[in-house]
Amino acid sequence: MTALAPELSDVHAVVEQVWSSFLGDEEPLLPQYDASGPLPADDVWSAAVSIHGGWAGTVTIELSATLAQNLTRLMLAMDDEPLDDADVADAVGELVNMVGGNIKSLMPGPSTLTLPYVAAGRAAHASDTTEVARLDAAWVGEPVRVSVHTTS
Amino acid sequence: MRALIIDDSRAMRSILRRIVSGLSFETAEAGHGQEALDQMEAGLDPDLCLIDWNMPVMDGYTFVTRVRANPAWRNVTLMMVTTESEQGQIVRALAAGAHEYVIKPFTPDAIVEKLQLLGLVDKGVLA
Repeated sequence: MTALAPELSDVHAVVEQVWSSFLGDEEPLLPQYDASGPLPADDVWSAAVSIHGGWAGTVTIELSATLAQNLTRLMLAMDDEPLDDADVADAVGELVNMVGGNIKSLMPGPSTLTLPYVAAGRAAHASDTTEVARLDAAWVGEPVRVSVHTTS
Repeated sequence: MRALIIDDSRAMRSILRRIVSGLSFETAEAGHGQEALDQMEAGLDPDLCLIDWNMPVMDGYTFVTRVRANPAWRNVTLMMVTTESEQGQIVRALAAGAHEYVIKPFTPDAIVEKLQLLGLVDKGVLA
């Protein structure tokens, strides 16, 4: 049985909309990042939200630590002040909340969205889940991956 | 005018604070609905609340129902600012007493336009 999944083009549109709304249009999110392998295990942040109800799945964002710190500074309007991990976790969590919430709206409902869970490091996915969509992109040369998983 | 920004994300509160501060609102912040209620019960008297839906401790929908249940707060304008975009949920929030609904992601102009519609910001003002 084929799992119901969002169209990759819709995922891309959602991510672009979130990116341009909060991080500006000056630096576009480029979908051409060559992501033949996994993101490095170190120096990466990840965040996920789960959707339950008419459609069930998990939306995950993984991005380099540099990118996570840069977008945190933009969202908090900070320049050179030191960032702590809580700031980065908060900003990355809000990003996945917006992406996940808008992907939820593309899928059959009604459904609910969990609060984000965020980690310094790569995301781990349960063995009974299947990746049904993945967007690899780059922003200012730094990699970002958005993936959607459903339960097999 | 005073705005109370209710969102569990510090980053989102920061973004909204910059928008409404630019419109000459004084601002206060809360990380969830209960914290916002506590501030209002302690005497904070906001003209406007910007309210996320999904938050720990007390969600935005519950906050709206609690504010609307208290006649002392009948003049507070309530605007949801949330990723929750299902039509049924939007209708539910408006029926509970929210005046406006903005779906994240948003642009500053989207917030300004809603505040203009609510009469809280003069026409022609841009964020």
